[in-house]
Amino acid sequence: MSEMLVQTVDLQRRYKRGKVPVPALNGVSMSVQKGEILGIIGPSGSGKTTLLNLIGGLDRPSSGTVTVDGEDLGRMSDAELTEYRLRKVGFIFQFYNLIPTLTAAENVELPMALAKAPLEEQKDRALELLEAVALGAKADRMPDELSGGEQQRVAVARALVNHPAIVLGDEPTGDLDSKSAKKLMEVLKSLRKEEHATFVLVTHDPIVVAECNRVCAIRDGKITRESKIGEDGKVLDHSRFVMDALF
Amino acid sequence: MSSMSLALRNLRHRRMRTALTVSGIVIGVAMILVLLSLAAGTSTQANGFLRNVVGSEITVVNATTPSFPGGFKFNGTETGGFGGGGGGGSFSMIFGGGDPINASLVGRIDNITGVYVASPELSTSGYVDGANVFLYGIVPSTYSEAATGLDITSGGNLTGAGQILLNSVTATNLGVSVGSNVTVGANSTGGSTFKVVGIYSSGSTFGPTSRSGYVELSDAQSISSDYGLVTEIFVKTTTPSLVSAVASDIESVISGVTANVASSITAPASSLSGTLTTFFTVIGLVALLAGGFGVVNTMMMSISERTREIGTLRAIGATKGQVMQMFLGEALLIGVIGAVVGVFIGVVASAAFPLFTGTSASHTFGAAFSGALRPALTASNLGISLALGTAVGIVAGIYPALRASRMDPVEALRHV
Repeated sequence: MSEMLVQTVDLQRRYKRGKVPVPALNGVSMSVQKGEILGIIGPSGSGKTTLLNLIGGLDRPSSGTVTVDGEDLGRMSDAELTEYRLRKVGFIFQFYNLIPTLTAAENVELPMALAKAPLEEQKDRALELLEAVALGAKADRMPDELSGGEQQRVAVARALVNHPAIVLGDEPTGDLDSKSAKKLMEVLKSLRKEEHATFVLVTHDPIVVAECNRVCAIRDGKITRESKIGEDGKVLDHSRFVMDALF
Repeated sequence: MSSMSLALRNLRHRRMRTALTVSGIVIGVAMILVLLSLAAGTSTQANGFLRNVVGSEITVVNATTPSFPGGFKFNGTETGGFGGGGGGGSFSMIFGGGDPINASLVGRIDNITGVYVASPELSTSGYVDGANVFLYGIVPSTYSEAATGLDITSGGNLTGAGQILLNSVTATNLGVSVGSNVTVGANSTGGSTFKVVGIYSSGSTFGPTSRSGYVELSDAQSISSDYGLVTEIFVKTTTPSLVSAVASDIESVISGVTANVASSITAPASSLSGTLTTFFTVIGLVALLAGGFGVVNTMMMSISERTREIGTLRAIGATKGQVMQMFLGEALLIGVIGAVVGVFIGVVASAAFPLFTGTSASHTFGAAFSGALRPALTASNLGISLALGTAVGIVAGIYPALRASRMDPVEALRHV
């Protein structure tokens, strides 16, 4: 039914802590379908963020492959990975990571500016997205004049501005109250439709898990469980994953 | 949103820190400018000072004039404080002229680049009230600049034809004083009436008892019938360092003359101002260097604070080059702002400098060095200061910018 966007095959990543190599990912084979919201849950240190960094082209695998949109990231040069991040990936961070000296609109425009898009186009697109995340009226605010939930929605708009193939979120609701978290998930769901966006969200948050189409659980660098998807496109046994996410 | 406007935003975001960092450059640039101006001013003053103290730097005489006693008209002239007018060290001068040269050469020498002043002299002999006297015909307006000048003890300088200055020995011997009329001629009988306008002190180096007098060049030419002729031309250059170049220019442009250089005097002069310039420049550079380290320090601090921001920029697709540009942009702005403000302050400080130093400089350098130290602002020094300030900003920014661009994005994002 759906198209495969990301595929990892026996993905491994080891870090050296002192002289001892520590495995962060220990042979992960998984995939992401185009247009889905995939949740990745697991305890701290399980390798969730490492997996996200590898898909996002921020890090390189020690072995195994990660293929996004038909391209093997392991074969890319540093410059190509930068270009890949710019054009194909959007990032959402736990602490929003907006540039404090830029307004909301300018933060959203930034990836387009880095891609040297025409100025008019930048402004139009940024406003369009800010309206989509219900912040059209606050486009000229500085980040410190926005609430956490608002900042994160700006970050979502920034992540989507270059029409990325995939948006990666690392604990996107980790710093938000539940009301803001719910609002954020509403926004993500609507953007998924309007922008045909694909989301991979690393999370601990049941509110996020509840809105995912599919969930993978990671423990000790391996995928330990993967949810089934029901006919309504929602996670079938999602309560079990919520428990996993919580404990 | 260009990297430059992003840089400007960041600087404005941390106003206080930016102001402090910029002031490091400001101080350095202002100091450089003041010190360069001071060096320029000092060397101008030193040149002027030396011009007053030493005799002429170059003495142009007929090439046939022997530089040893032989074909000279007179045997000796007092040089003491003045006669050396001719100045320091040329035998032909000391022993008076040899064969005369055309007075029109003065104009040609004046046209040579680097010549500050050229003044002719005709050395001859004559009789004042029947007594044999060494007579010098000079052009009063340029003589005192080109040569040492006379130490006039009473009366004043020559102001026109028909006037004569006598040395104190002559005046005493003849029993005349300022205001007396004397008869001056080529022989002991007859001549024209001259008015004694001044008495100058007899030198002590050569024959303090010898008799000498100064009249206008045209008077001397009539007395000796050397119309249109002079025996030597005294030359001073704009800068002591030019002396030997100007001397050889004179000899190559005008045939048949010898340009004798009083090198023993000019060499220390040019090395003095050279040393001052170097000394001042080094102090200024050290100040600017300190400012540069301030920029490095601030940039490093800023980068460490903005580690996560840098990680974010790299994650969302900024290239290493773009990150480098942003930080270099900040450093460049710091440098440019610092240089512009520094030059402004430097100009003001240079202008105000004499007010602070008062007359201490004249105590140090003696009365000949009249007035306080006066910095001289030159376009090139303004340019140098501006360029140095900007360059220090950029250079100081290179290492921090490189550090920022080379951060590992994963590590940088993990930074709290």
